[in-house]
Amino acid sequence: MTLLTATGVTKRYPSARRHPFGRRPVRTVLDAVDLAVSAGERLGIVGGSGAGKSTLLRLLLAVEAPDTGEVRFRGRPVRPARPGRLGWFRREVQFVAQDPYASLSPRMTVRDIIGEPLHCLRVPGDRPRRIDELLRAVRLDPALASRLPSALSGGQRQRVALARALAPRPAVLVADEPISALDAPVRVAILDLLREVTVAEGSALVLVAHDLAAVRRACTRVMVLDQGRVVESGPVDQVFHAPRSAVARDLIEAIPRLPGEVAR
Amino acid sequence: MTGWPDRLGRMGVLACAVGGLAVVVAALPWLRGDDPARSVLRARLEDRDPDPAALAAVRSELHLADNPVQGAADWLTDAARGEFGTSWVTGEPVRDLLLTAAGVSTSLAGAASAVAVVVGLALAAPVVWALSGECRSPGRCTRGVRVAGAVVAALSEVALAAALLTLVAVRWRLAPVAGWFGPSYMLLPALALGVPSGGLFARLVGTAADAIAGETWVRTWRAAGCGRITLTVAIVRRAVTAAVPQVAALFMGLLGGAVVVEEMFAVPGLGRLSLHAALAQDLPVLQGCVLTLVLAGTAAGASGIAAQRVLLGPAGAAAALAPAGPARPRRPHRRTPLPVAAVLTAPILAGLLRDPHGVRLERRLSGPSWAYPLGTDPVGRDVLARFGHGAVLTIGTAAAVTAVGLIVGLVVGLRGSAARVGVVDIVNALPFVLVGLVLAAVLGPGLLCAAISAALVACVPIAIHTRSLATEVRASGYHQAAVLAGAGAGWILRRHLLPAVTGPVLAYALTRVPSTALAIAALGFLGLGLGHDTPEWGAELAAAIDYLERAPTLVTAPVLGLVLLGVLAGSAPVELGRRTAL
Repeated sequence: MTLLTATGVTKRYPSARRHPFGRRPVRTVLDAVDLAVSAGERLGIVGGSGAGKSTLLRLLLAVEAPDTGEVRFRGRPVRPARPGRLGWFRREVQFVAQDPYASLSPRMTVRDIIGEPLHCLRVPGDRPRRIDELLRAVRLDPALASRLPSALSGGQRQRVALARALAPRPAVLVADEPISALDAPVRVAILDLLREVTVAEGSALVLVAHDLAAVRRACTRVMVLDQGRVVESGPVDQVFHAPRSAVARDLIEAIPRLPGEVAR
Repeated sequence: MTGWPDRLGRMGVLACAVGGLAVVVAALPWLRGDDPARSVLRARLEDRDPDPAALAAVRSELHLADNPVQGAADWLTDAARGEFGTSWVTGEPVRDLLLTAAGVSTSLAGAASAVAVVVGLALAAPVVWALSGECRSPGRCTRGVRVAGAVVAALSEVALAAALLTLVAVRWRLAPVAGWFGPSYMLLPALALGVPSGGLFARLVGTAADAIAGETWVRTWRAAGCGRITLTVAIVRRAVTAAVPQVAALFMGLLGGAVVVEEMFAVPGLGRLSLHAALAQDLPVLQGCVLTLVLAGTAAGASGIAAQRVLLGPAGAAAALAPAGPARPRRPHRRTPLPVAAVLTAPILAGLLRDPHGVRLERRLSGPSWAYPLGTDPVGRDVLARFGHGAVLTIGTAAAVTAVGLIVGLVVGLRGSAARVGVVDIVNALPFVLVGLVLAAVLGPGLLCAAISAALVACVPIAIHTRSLATEVRASGYHQAAVLAGAGAGWILRRHLLPAVTGPVLAYALTRVPSTALAIAALGFLGLGLGHDTPEWGAELAAAIDYLERAPTLVTAPVLGLVLLGVLAGSAPVELGRRTAL
């Protein structure tokens, strides 16, 4: 079943004027991008800096509206609106941010952070039990619930952010480079956790990364963006072994290897 | 560097604000809520019952319109042609009064600016000299100078002028006491006006230099074997470009101080003219003065921006250099406030235990003695007692005003849309004395007038501080995460904005109490605050000035109190958030 779709979304931003009465040059950040995420699917979006990955995420999360095209969830159009009118959408699509050091309020305990979407989205059920359950699901000691984020490591913080996103049992989990602020060993653990919890909770995953190896570890399908256009998309193994676009080849080349290791 | 659209937007806000202010000023005679003709009669002949015939005569004589809209429109069209009507009190054309006074004020402002630049550079030079050397922790080397600059900046013009008057003019007879009859009469007023502005200038240059010393070119020049003097000059030049756009704030500070200083030294300038117009309810004169002062301030701001352009040269046009400024406000000295507060508190507590109202005419104007440690006033009352009870009035009002300012500042700062923020910037540039003058004309002088104008001015830095903290929260990852977690405005305000903002803003507001107290004292000195015979410090000082020749020690208590308050105010964090309209 198709959950989240984007059809022909285009986004342009005005750049700075050269002189006071001149026209503002317009930069096209996304150019007629199509995307569909089905239930249980794990889609990776890769591309270099400025490819439009983050903009696409902002459109998918209804933070911004596309200039043309539209975003739908289960066939229902999604546009930025007051929090109250988007509650149904926020319950279904949740977000894990890039930087776990910035995305957790320094003044709230882990329990309050994970409980925030439960409270704001009025999710029914026993909240303390759900929070315990979530902490165990992301392999954190439930005793950490009363701690402040400052007492946690980067990996632990990202687990808390993941638990918060999973709290309302979303149908789609959207993650924006969730490992780029972490150390190498923690990265692998978080990627594996992302894969496992989405399988366990039955959520679809949209994972944005500039690193194709990360996508290969966590996703089933991959979409390659370059300068606002989709240049390639398909099952992860197919793109990895037989890339058709130059961008995908470059991204595969960019994966660091040990000396003597052969390209796969 | 801000982009063109941003700058055009700010100019738009400025134009709206000046236009709005002009309309308020034009409608002043009607804002009082009674018939302007009645006000004219009251201004001319006190205590006479206005009969209808007299009112009609006044109306036809002064061409007073029947309603505020018509009146404001008439006044604005006349003002655009350079006609400001005639004084309600003396019947003289306002334009002539304005021209004479503006001439005096311009020469005084010029002399004061020269003093400010000299004092500012003299205070800032040691800071820059230390920064240009190989100093490991410049913060430590320059702390003393920093504190000096901060304290000088926060010196109240009232206290400084009174001290100069007492020592230089009366005790040592080095300069004339009051009046305006030649260049020698300019010395003391220019010092009283220019020294605090010089301190502010030094503070701006010093903080900018601090940030600049960390720029890469400084390291490159030093590595290239560039001499320390050359480097100092280069840093000063670069720091001045950062401070120059603040020149409007400096100028507005001069304007606010000018009213006090011109009154103290009987200089017939714009400040004194507007003060006497406000006290006598002579609205046409006040209208002309306020408009002139605001236009002068705007012109100063614009010339500041232009001067920055010239100083930056091609670097500014290419947006290669961001205007330097520290990321966070810093306290010049953390430990200054405590001993100063202790020195201030001891006599206040001692005074509070004594009787401030006991009149003993046989002991009038006596010097310090065991029975009366600070002497007695012109009717034989205990000066120490009045000092203590006055502190409660002055500082207590300031605390209450700050509390109101805190609430208003929080509301405006948290919910600030662009338009309101523009208004905040404009009000920020207005000196409290000007606000006090206009309010005194509308409400009549009194505690309420002083408190409202102090609150209006006090809430502005708090609102700016709140705004910058709230902007930080709104830009944070956890705010975005909360929005995406479905949080509404109320939840975000309760759980994210208020917890992040309240503590720091409360602490900031506390550090603003002394400067608010100084503002209230200045208004009291001008007769715009608490009425005659209350022990409020400003009013006390005004009373003591009249007896300067016979009892010079009488001014000591209020002056020392105000200076200590100034030291406390000076140890508050510097507001580089303070910016002008342009």
